[in-house]
Amino acid sequence: MNHTQTITKFLVEEFLPDVPAESLAADYDLLSGGVIDSLGLLRVIAWLEDRFDVVVDDIEIAPDNFRTVTAMSAFVQNARRTG
Amino acid sequence: MVTTTRTVRTQLSSQSFVESFSANVRGFPDGPALVWRGEPVSYRELNDRALRAKAELSEADIGAAPIGVRCAKSPDSVALVLACLMDQRSFLLPSTTLPEHTLQELFRRAGCTRVLTVSDSSSGRYSWAVVPGTDGTRHNHTRHNSGVRSFSPDPEAVTFMLTTSGSTGPPKIVPLSEGAVDRFTDWAGRQFELGAGRSVLNVSPLSFDLCLLDIWATLKHGGCVVLVEPSQATSGEYLRDLLIRHEVELVQAVPMFYQLLTRVNRDDAGELSSVRHVVVTGDSIAPQCLVQLPGMFPSARLYNLYGCTETNDSLSYEIDPTDLPTSALPLGDPLPGVRALLVNEDGTIRTGPGTGELYVSTPFQTSGYLGLPDHESRFVAHPDGADALRYFRTGDLVHRHENGSLTLEGRTDFQVKVRGVRTNIEDVERVLRTHPDIAEVAVVAVPDLVAGHLLHAETRRVPGSALNSLLLRRFCADQLPLTAIPTTFRITDDPLPRTSTGKPDRHLVARLRRTEG
Repeated sequence: MNHTQTITKFLVEEFLPDVPAESLAADYDLLSGGVIDSLGLLRVIAWLEDRFDVVVDDIEIAPDNFRTVTAMSAFVQNARRTG
Repeated sequence: MVTTTRTVRTQLSSQSFVESFSANVRGFPDGPALVWRGEPVSYRELNDRALRAKAELSEADIGAAPIGVRCAKSPDSVALVLACLMDQRSFLLPSTTLPEHTLQELFRRAGCTRVLTVSDSSSGRYSWAVVPGTDGTRHNHTRHNSGVRSFSPDPEAVTFMLTTSGSTGPPKIVPLSEGAVDRFTDWAGRQFELGAGRSVLNVSPLSFDLCLLDIWATLKHGGCVVLVEPSQATSGEYLRDLLIRHEVELVQAVPMFYQLLTRVNRDDAGELSSVRHVVVTGDSIAPQCLVQLPGMFPSARLYNLYGCTETNDSLSYEIDPTDLPTSALPLGDPLPGVRALLVNEDGTIRTGPGTGELYVSTPFQTSGYLGLPDHESRFVAHPDGADALRYFRTGDLVHRHENGSLTLEGRTDFQVKVRGVRTNIEDVERVLRTHPDIAEVAVVAVPDLVAGHLLHAETRRVPGSALNSLLLRRFCADQLPLTAIPTTFRITDDPLPRTSTGKPDRHLVARLRRTEG
């Protein structure tokens, strides 16, 4: 499973348990679409840190890094490369 | 009684916000006014930025029309609000979590033809947007005096226009007069010892009424506002770090903030010893969180502060750290100049122990919802005609105990606080019911340690529908503020449990939800 699939699977299990994973498009805006709120975002970040062994600095908790599956995936990739 | 209250009100000295701010700029231009992302912004610099924003306002050629202000929290958005105050121009400052069409409707209702935003936070450039459905330029409001105007206090002039959290349709608009803001910021300055060299944490978004204390009262009295970045407002570590690094002395926040801090509190006492005043507001704090406050803030006085957007802070209770209440925190006593009444269901005043709806009248309150007649809103005369004040029906059911202390019992309607934001579960249900694929719905508030309450929606879809939570969340996001979107949804094909009168049984749904965890 690549990052995108792993992240999608987590998000669906956690926030959209009745939704088939393939229904969640990688570019779907999860914040303005009402899927993830501010507390949900914390859960997502904690999971990303744990699952991908990356550290999310306070400064990086910019919503734009976590708006879509694609953005999260890019963030993880980038963090692993630089980290 | 009437005379007494009036006397109290006139005795409350009322310093003009703008004049006090200007005096601070002259008095200590290099003193810090704000801290943003670790960097201080001095009074001189903030004033310069405000003057730039004010120049933007005068170049826009919109006469005396109110404007919309739409921006995330930053020094430039603070400067923009300052510019409006200096320009004595009323401005609508709506919550940024509202759906786009709701925002535009609010701007139209407030009479704004144009909306100003901070377009580039690095250069502090502003940009204008035209409110759809308006001409976007000149307005029929005209200035009383054209040309360069100097500031002259006008207690009746409308300044801030805040919004209620209204979970369906456009929220109500709450205009605040210059006098109301001046009186409130004066009270806050005295109560919390605000002044030069004093740092105050600002947690809430710029559009929240809480900013009148932590941003606007602080700037009036020469203190320094430590701005929390909205995107990090739920990170306990970030918040703790801000408190320590900037030696914050006053913190005002909803219980969720303190709950987040308790999770990262290292318990090596003294870490947060700079804090002298801790204000809990907006919701009831959980007892397991309250017991941690005295240890976490060893040098602080602790307060439970009760208020509404319409009236601002009204009642205050100082918590004795050596004798913490084991049940609900008392609401405390009316602030100076505030009158509070408990009113029975039949409209009579309850003078003894028992439960009634809380009515308050404060020197800080709005003159009424914009564009709504009194009888459609919640502003009423004294039930007995004992004074000539206007009272606000808070909708809060309050219990007066034998010893006279007051505690919150619940609501006269279906409002709950979700992350400190008022949300009406009936309104959320009403929105969901308009979805063509929903046959029935029950929304319940489930108590949550961090958020206060979280919403759960139990829905039955119409037979053959492919409705799922992704689609339903999208539908909600288009019609509700983000805070009013249920945290969990269950979509079933089975009928919902019903009461004997045939309505969806919210209590049973809530109980089932709680046992599922």
